[in-house]
Amino acid sequence: MTYALASAVAPRRYPPGDLAIWIFILAELSVFAAFFAAYAFGRLGQVELFNAYQQTLDRRSALINTLALITGSYFVVRATAAIREDDSRGCFDWLLAALGMGTLFVVLKSAEYAHHLGEGIHLGTNRFYMFYLSLTFFHFMHVLMGMVILAAVALKARRGGYSAAEHTGVETGGAYWHMVDLVWLILFPLVYVMR
Amino acid sequence: MKATTAQTCWVRPCTRIWLLLMALSYVTYLVGVSAIEGLWAALLVLGFAVLKGQLIGDFYMGLRWVRGPWRWVIVLWLVIPGALITTAFLLAARGSG
Repeated sequence: MTYALASAVAPRRYPPGDLAIWIFILAELSVFAAFFAAYAFGRLGQVELFNAYQQTLDRRSALINTLALITGSYFVVRATAAIREDDSRGCFDWLLAALGMGTLFVVLKSAEYAHHLGEGIHLGTNRFYMFYLSLTFFHFMHVLMGMVILAAVALKARRGGYSAAEHTGVETGGAYWHMVDLVWLILFPLVYVMR
Repeated sequence: MKATTAQTCWVRPCTRIWLLLMALSYVTYLVGVSAIEGLWAALLVLGFAVLKGQLIGDFYMGLRWVRGPWRWVIVLWLVIPGALITTAFLLAARGSG
């Protein structure tokens, strides 16, 4: 069975959501870009150490976290599509599902941190772990922040606070969540895979 | 100007993008756990990451339909760190080669 899908393709001058969140996203992305460059150039002097300690990371957990964030982003897209069709209940349900993916990420990453702490690993262990812990924890804090934003948007959607005509809040919260996903898409190969 | 287009398809475009993102992530993981290593493997997964980022920016963040400077925000963010990471890995390969 096929179905017809109408997608909005009207060219626009500004991205979806509140422009202020995009200024914030720009600032956040700039910080992460500096972090990524610092990791890559910081690795230069100790390539063998970085390659060796990278093997100690849990790649399967990182893959599941990647899939969780991508799926969470997909659910946010569906939530936005739902509210554009004036479906507040659908919007709430999709946002709840996205929050579920965020929770999965937080649980798995916390388990990874607990494992490392249990082995006595900390920021001062070596340069690789200094970068790994600081980069991933900085991102982890953004995931938590994104979940708070999504929860606030979901609650408002549940109360019928958004409509097809006015849903800037959903697009704004969604833009932040996609930024969190976007950063992880570079972080995952850089820290866990590239050697 | 026409504001909307009607498409008839089996799967929503965002679902197709999601499936592609999942597949590229799994291939990245496979490269990570395999014996494949070295500069070209690193640059391959970095290329996948840049492609995935572009898909997120274009289709999930909605920048594909934006005209003007905002259209290029994510592109620039992917290209600049991507170029720096590539440079660092090239230097590392040259140093160890």
